[in-house]
Amino acid sequence: MKISDVIKALNCEVVQGQFENTELEGAYTSDLLSDVMANAKSAGALITIQAHKNTVAVATLVNISLIIICNSRPIPEDMIDAAREEGVAIVRTAENQFMTSGRLFALLGYT
Amino acid sequence: MLADLHNHSCLSPCGSLDLSPLVLVERAAGRGIQILALTDHNTCANCPSFAKLCSENKVVPVFGMEATTREEVHVLCLFDTLEKALSWSERVYSLLPPIPNDPERLGDQVIVNENDEIEGEVDVYLGSALEMGLDEIGPLAEQYGGIVIPAHVDRPAFSMTSQLGFVSPGPWAALECVRLPPTVDTRGYPLITGSDAHYPEHVGRRSFELPLDDEEQKEVKAAGKIDIALLGSALRRCRKA
Repeated sequence: MKISDVIKALNCEVVQGQFENTELEGAYTSDLLSDVMANAKSAGALITIQAHKNTVAVATLVNISLIIICNSRPIPEDMIDAAREEGVAIVRTAENQFMTSGRLFALLGYT
Repeated sequence: MLADLHNHSCLSPCGSLDLSPLVLVERAAGRGIQILALTDHNTCANCPSFAKLCSENKVVPVFGMEATTREEVHVLCLFDTLEKALSWSERVYSLLPPIPNDPERLGDQVIVNENDEIEGEVDVYLGSALEMGLDEIGPLAEQYGGIVIPAHVDRPAFSMTSQLGFVSPGPWAALECVRLPPTVDTRGYPLITGSDAHYPEHVGRRSFELPLDDEEQKEVKAAGKIDIALLGSALRRCRKA
C-alpha cells in the first residue's frame, strides 16, 4: 500500500507532506528512540508519541518514511523542517498507539 | 555567583561544530558566568581542554556530562575534578550500545584541544540510551564522587515528564527547568535553569544565580574550583516551587 493511501485510510492530519510516495511494507510502534534504532529494521512507518526532531534523525537510520504521531501531540517546527529535508512524511492522529497500530496492521494485510 | 551547569560542545552529535570548548568558555566568561559546566551527551572527553580553558579565563569549572538513562531521561552528572569526571566517563562508555555514529545523519562527535584543533572523534553514537536505569544513575554517580540533576524536567522530550509522565523521586541535587516557575510538579526539589547550549548563541541564555555566601565565594574564587559538597549544599538553597 502506498504511503498516501495509508494516510487517507487512517484519516490523519498531514503535517509534513513532502515525501516520496513509496510502498509501505510494515511498521514499528515504540516511544523509546533507542529501541527504534536497535530493533526497527526497515520499518516503513513509525507509530509514536515522541514528537521532536530526534525522532526524524532516528527514522532516517532505519528507513522509516512515515512518522505517525499519536494522541494529537503538538509537533515543533524544527521537527517538521528536519522531516522535510529528509523527505520523511509526518502525520498526526487523535488516536493512541494501540488503535493506530491495529488499523495499520489491518490495512497492510497482516491478520 | 552566576552559574551555568548545562552546556554542550562540538563533541555532542547535536552540538554545533562551532561550539568548541574554547568558544564556550570565552563566551561564558564574556557573559559574566563564573561557574561553568561542560555536559556533553554521555561523555566527558572534551573536559581536558575545557579544564585548561577555564583556568586561563578565570572561570570555575564543573566537569560533567548529560547522561541518557535507559528510559531516555537526560540527567546531568557533575564532578569537581577532571579525574573523577574522566573515570565516570570511562564507566559510562562501557554502558553505551555499540551503535556507530553516522555523522551525516546524526552529527559530528569531535574531540578538540584548547586551541580549537580536532584531536579525534568518538565512533560510537553518543546519543544512545545507556544500559543504566534512572534509579541506578544517582547512586552510581555518587560512587564516583558526583552529584546528579535531572535535566529540563519540564521539556516534552528526553525528560522525566516526557518519558515517565512525572518527576520521580531520587537523590537529585536539584532539578533543571527550562522555565521558572515550573509547569510540572517538582516535589519540593530545589530548582535551577541551564542554558543547554548547543550553539554559540545559546551560551548564557538561561544561567542562574548559585547562592553562595561571601565566605564561600571567596573560597571558590581563591581556589578556582568548587568542591562538590559545597556545590550540592548551595544547590539545596536554590528556590523551590
